[in-house]
Amino acid sequence: MNFELTEEQQLMGQSAREFAKEYLDPIAVELDHTGEFPKAAVKGLAEHDFLGLILDPEVGGAGAGFVSYVEVIEQLSRSSAAVASILNNHTMAAYAIEKWGTAEQKKQYLPELAKGSILGALAIYENGPTPGIGADALVAAKQPGGYVLNGVKAYVRNAGEAGVYVVFATLNAEAGPKALTAFLVKGGTAGLKISEKVETMGLKGCPVAHLTFENVVLPESAVLGAENQGLEIATKVLSVYSVAEAAQTVGIGQAAVVHAAEYAKQRVQFGKPIAVLQAIQTMLAETATDVHLARLGMHFAALRIEEGKPFEVESAMVKSFLVRLGSKMLIDTCQVEGGFGFSEAMPLPKLFRDIAGTNLLDAPADFPEKTIAASIA
Amino acid sequence: MAGIFIFSEDSALARQLMTPALELKKSLAQPITALALKESDAKELAALGADKAVVLESESQWTEGFAETISGLVKEASVVLIGGTLRGKHIASYVAAKLDAGMTTDAKTLKIEGGKLLATRILYAGLAVCEEVVEFPAVATVRARTFLAPAAAATAGTVEKVSATGEARVKVDEVEPIGAAGVDITAANKLVAVGRGFRKKEDLKIADDLSAALKAEIACTRGIAEDEHWLPIERYVGISGQTVKPDLYLATGLSGQVQHMVGCRESKVIVAVNNDERAPIFEAADYGVVGDLYEVLPLLTAALKK
Amino acid sequence: MPKCLVCYKWTLDEQDIKVKPEDLSLDSSRAKGKISDFDRNAIEEATLLVEKNGGAVEALSYGTAAVKQSLKDVLSRGPEKVHWIADASAENADGAVTAKVLAAAIRKLGSYDLILCGEGSSDLFNQQTAPRLAALLGVPCVSFANKVSIEGDAVKVTRKLDDCTETLTVKTPVVISVLGEINKPRIPTMKQVLGAAKKPNQEIKISELGLKPEELQPKATRQSVKGFVMHRKNVIYKESNAAANVAKLAASLATEGLC
Repeated sequence: MNFELTEEQQLMGQSAREFAKEYLDPIAVELDHTGEFPKAAVKGLAEHDFLGLILDPEVGGAGAGFVSYVEVIEQLSRSSAAVASILNNHTMAAYAIEKWGTAEQKKQYLPELAKGSILGALAIYENGPTPGIGADALVAAKQPGGYVLNGVKAYVRNAGEAGVYVVFATLNAEAGPKALTAFLVKGGTAGLKISEKVETMGLKGCPVAHLTFENVVLPESAVLGAENQGLEIATKVLSVYSVAEAAQTVGIGQAAVVHAAEYAKQRVQFGKPIAVLQAIQTMLAETATDVHLARLGMHFAALRIEEGKPFEVESAMVKSFLVRLGSKMLIDTCQVEGGFGFSEAMPLPKLFRDIAGTNLLDAPADFPEKTIAASIA
Repeated sequence: MAGIFIFSEDSALARQLMTPALELKKSLAQPITALALKESDAKELAALGADKAVVLESESQWTEGFAETISGLVKEASVVLIGGTLRGKHIASYVAAKLDAGMTTDAKTLKIEGGKLLATRILYAGLAVCEEVVEFPAVATVRARTFLAPAAAATAGTVEKVSATGEARVKVDEVEPIGAAGVDITAANKLVAVGRGFRKKEDLKIADDLSAALKAEIACTRGIAEDEHWLPIERYVGISGQTVKPDLYLATGLSGQVQHMVGCRESKVIVAVNNDERAPIFEAADYGVVGDLYEVLPLLTAALKK
Repeated sequence: MPKCLVCYKWTLDEQDIKVKPEDLSLDSSRAKGKISDFDRNAIEEATLLVEKNGGAVEALSYGTAAVKQSLKDVLSRGPEKVHWIADASAENADGAVTAKVLAAAIRKLGSYDLILCGEGSSDLFNQQTAPRLAALLGVPCVSFANKVSIEGDAVKVTRKLDDCTETLTVKTPVVISVLGEINKPRIPTMKQVLGAAKKPNQEIKISELGLKPEELQPKATRQSVKGFVMHRKNVIYKESNAAANVAKLAASLATEGLC
């Protein structure tokens, strides 16, 4: 077993760290306060080949593996998990197209996604309990030549900035999720509207909004994969996304523990740095341990994705671990920094709110423990 | 091999080099030869104890071009001390190569031990110190203000002139002195830092007067720049501002919080003026005055002008 | 169309080095390697010059076996080829040895118009390599450059010195050392990182350089390396008479040579 990143993976991570220092550190706190879409940073991501990182060189991507990708996401997240969110959502949408798209669809969207001239977005969730069920579930009614979509997609990241949305709609309101079908919808399509911007608790700067579909007409060629294959596609994509999101959580945790440790070394009380106090040491040690173990689990799952091996259980385990311990990392590091760290001019408050955004169980009906339990009992 | 040689194109630094040179002379019992670019420098160095001072005369103006001539003049040396200006380091390295000698850069202390030159210096961007042992002939550069110039010697040495060849392959197009243009506090040798102890923007004039008397630049805490906007952000020293390491950091009316001190704690000398005896700045200071800055600073400015 | 060679050092990242509190010794067991900071600037400068004027950039490094870890890193930053010498002698090599080895390698590799390096390495900062190299190769050295441009068969260099900026014109070949402020090294893109594997690297064995064993022995050796501990004097003047305090402070400043 080799636990070291390869040279290329390390160098890519190094570039991502340097990029983060130059493009993200200067704007991270302000971005968190204004929530304004970070155009320059996203342009920078494109220029450094981050937007097409895992896409095939044939379509203009860098052709890197998934482990390189999560390493990049972690390094970016240490500075701005919001920007990493934009990148994650974009990449996962592109991933869906690369895996399930027809030659035509890939040719139509992947080169632009790889270059970063358009962003991608996933539109999976709805206001109801499960996609496909509920009063404003997105329903795709068949009609000659294609489909008409009506309904609402909720909490869509990159909403309004994306050039293409991977949208999941049900073909049959009664069948609900079982009839989910994935569609590729261009940004600006007639009838597609941002109905409500969502002001989120954290990851501000990554746009989140509800998308309303009012008689949006799509041709047959807009179907990604096959009819009724939507649930399978969404589940698989979300399973990969879990690992990419775990990389964000690890990055945020890493940033928090590094900052708190530095603070503890310098904050002198009663003649000694507080880093010598057992209570402080315990909080820092537990956080550092949790970050380390989460990273190992995350890399393990990422490697299995890269090698094409089954990974759903390992992905669920990492998700489960971080849902339980992610926020604790920030609770403890905030405790270490006390009043000093409580200031909004400091990074911890942002990290505290951001980490919550990477631990969301968006579809609680499919919470990770279910997958893990099913694999062992 | 015999002889202690010193050189700096900087007159004050050359005088300072006489101090370690005289110490080495005591251990080695070898004469000191001072090389200089100006006759006035040579005379001063002879008066400070150089047994011989040699003036390099040349048509050429480019200092580094004299490295070849200097190499020839010092080829029998045990020790060559060169002032650690950037020009000096260039020359010293060139001379070291010509002599096939070892060289220690930015020596903080110098002495002879076991027939070799023993220097102490700083490594790893200030993280560590070490001793460096250099066989003879040994070249060492010494930075300004590492040593103080010695008092005049009992007898002055002789002064000679020698002609020096320049570097014909290099043509100097232009030399522009560096003025006080732009605000780069990281380049300042001295800083007067201001904090919340100042009640109004207009009161910063007290600090300006002091910094003028010290030939210093003004720096400030985050609050002064980002909250009050009394000074531009480039002057803010701290954890998310500038990191500075001047020879003097004079902190006035600031308490010395961790997030500020992180930006200045590598300063050579830290001085604090604050009216709260328990302010953390005093723990981090070499010298301090407990008092009201509105009273203390003008008094200090006046004292310095004398 | 200048043919450029950049000499770089693979160093330990000084930020990863820890000081052991019990005896102040240094622990570099966790230190990662990096291309010395100002050598990165040199690599970037050479790459910029070649992008503007045509020509080629190659890199050269002398280090311990660890130097092999630097190859892809340096190739992702612009040079089309890297030559490397890995030898145990590099562990304790001083400025004298380093310059001799590099000079011997350069004589073997052929002629270059510009030989660039950083003003000093980020770990030891001896600031000796460039002028030493120039002396050994018999070419001029222009040190502490913050601007370089090609003018035909000559190079125009601006140097930033302690008290002035100086602009020089020198005919090639020339050795140039650069300051960190000369440029901002670009961040290697993902494609540049992945493309590094396709570029050639060439090992030069130290035995091929024709150096005698004594030439690989350092003339300056380090000992007693210890962590630097900051001691502040904490001399506080707190009499009730402000003028008295000020007089004492002024005297202290004078003793320190600060006024």
